[in-house]
Amino acid sequence: MPRLTRWVVAIPMAALALATIYPLVFTTNVAMKTRREYVLDRFSLADSLSWDNLVKAWTSVGMSRYFLNSVVVVACSVGLLLLFGSMAGFALARLKFRGSSALFLGVLAALFIPFQVIMVPLARIMADTGLVDTYPGLVLAYVAQFLPFTIFLLTSYYSTVPPDIVDAARIDGNTVYGVYWRIMLPIGAPALLSVGVLNALFCWNDVLISLLMMPSAEHRTLMVGVTSLRGQYSDDIPTFASGVLIAAVPVLVVYLFLQRQIADGVTAGSTKG
Amino acid sequence: MAAQSLSAVDVAVAASTAEAAGGTPPRRRRGARAERLAPLVLLAPAVLIIAGLRLWPLVLGINFSFTGDGDRNGMMVGFDNYLTLLNDPLFRTALRNVGLLVLLLPVAVAIPGLLATFIYLKVPGHRLYRGVYFFPAVLSPVIVGAIFNLLLAFDGPLNALLGGLGIGPVDWLGDPDVAIFAVVGVHVWATFGMALVVFLAGFATLDSSLLDAAEVDGASLPQTVWHVIIPSLSRTIQFVFVTTMIGMLTSMFGLVYVMTSGGPEGSTYLPEYYVWIQQGQMNQPALASAASTALFLIMLVVGLAQIGILRRAGKED
Repeated sequence: MPRLTRWVVAIPMAALALATIYPLVFTTNVAMKTRREYVLDRFSLADSLSWDNLVKAWTSVGMSRYFLNSVVVVACSVGLLLLFGSMAGFALARLKFRGSSALFLGVLAALFIPFQVIMVPLARIMADTGLVDTYPGLVLAYVAQFLPFTIFLLTSYYSTVPPDIVDAARIDGNTVYGVYWRIMLPIGAPALLSVGVLNALFCWNDVLISLLMMPSAEHRTLMVGVTSLRGQYSDDIPTFASGVLIAAVPVLVVYLFLQRQIADGVTAGSTKG
Repeated sequence: MAAQSLSAVDVAVAASTAEAAGGTPPRRRRGARAERLAPLVLLAPAVLIIAGLRLWPLVLGINFSFTGDGDRNGMMVGFDNYLTLLNDPLFRTALRNVGLLVLLLPVAVAIPGLLATFIYLKVPGHRLYRGVYFFPAVLSPVIVGAIFNLLLAFDGPLNALLGGLGIGPVDWLGDPDVAIFAVVGVHVWATFGMALVVFLAGFATLDSSLLDAAEVDGASLPQTVWHVIIPSLSRTIQFVFVTTMIGMLTSMFGLVYVMTSGGPEGSTYLPEYYVWIQQGQMNQPALASAASTALFLIMLVVGLAQIGILRRAGKED
């Protein structure tokens, strides 16, 4: 591409990059303002960097409770997803047994069933088993939702592990479970990290499943908490913005450190699949 | 990457060998049965969860969509729910909006494709763009929607900016003719980075000698894109088309819920939002199931059609 064209193209791209960042910068700035400041001028930089709104959103508005709920649910969901996903991925990729390809097809089929399509019967199943409005119920719903994707990714990762390694470990006296625990889990670490981060984001960001599974206010996850702020604080925008910021910051931090792993997970299957 | 995982393999094998040599005699005979059952044991949790909470509900839901709500709870009513859907203006709006999404799909694919091309061709600042563009894609639709509630408010920043340019205020989220475009626009803004990253992964597999050859032959940029890049990336483009469409049909709930709640005048309804309202607010689970099944069919038809069209287009090259 000619030099001039490069620079001509770079200008709108830089503008787009600014437009991509600006909404979050704006929200951060609003969160630092007093209500009065916001009403008078929404664009000016906050006079003083005030943490009052953030403290208020964290304490009296109750974001801390929602935050903790989300952390617990996401941690349990991701732990179970990685455990079940790696067990199944290892078995599908490296153990020979009858029906293994049929099972993998079943996983693929489940991958294409969106939550919206099964949410009505799932809500009924959860209600019938008494799991509605409980943390195990929500965790189970998340595990069910993201397990096909997790298995798919880990199966294709484990398929790249040379079979000789499994055979060598077996000859050394390892049981199948030993191979899984001592060989496959450590080898799978990069894939587990990637799929783990992605699942954590999926669960953290979800609102539909959480709305459906956790009707009572004290069980709300953080995203449902943010949606409830909108109605309550429509005349106190700085507090509302603070709540939004509290929900966004953990994602920003994870993104800054693990961007590559997230991208790896997203693109898996796009070039080979 | 390969070297890294290989060394991990070596370490793991060495560790297990040391352990086995260090004592515990092989317990092969006693464990033979357990060994044979190993695939079953390893797969049991996954199979139970997927079969019980994904495949079974799908069957249950389709079956459920042919039963009645309220007084007719549990009775088979044939296609009544589907007729109700077709006569419901809200569901018709939802379908019309799906049509709009399908029409906008090429744009939603072309923008990240073009941007990825420029990043691949190393325009100034290319290292920065990928990281910045991708970020909104990892944010929750709830957060994105909440932020745009502020930005698109009638007295909000965007209207102030447009006012400065002499363009009258637009009621982005309050005008029934505008709101759906605002919501879809925000969705595209928030997710184009996802497709961009997929495109860049595709570019990474591209044979760069092809591009060099094109440059030597004096091909212009549009020619290079059309004759070299698009044919080489057909697989990636297909993937992006399908995933973007699935994203539009199944991951806009949060945005609609936060930005418009389906309004104004029901103009921003999408099938998934309709399902949620009928199930969660109107207590009509059977009707909601019918809408779910319709959504599933739409996805199947659109997905298969896309793959078919793209296959054919690919063969012509």
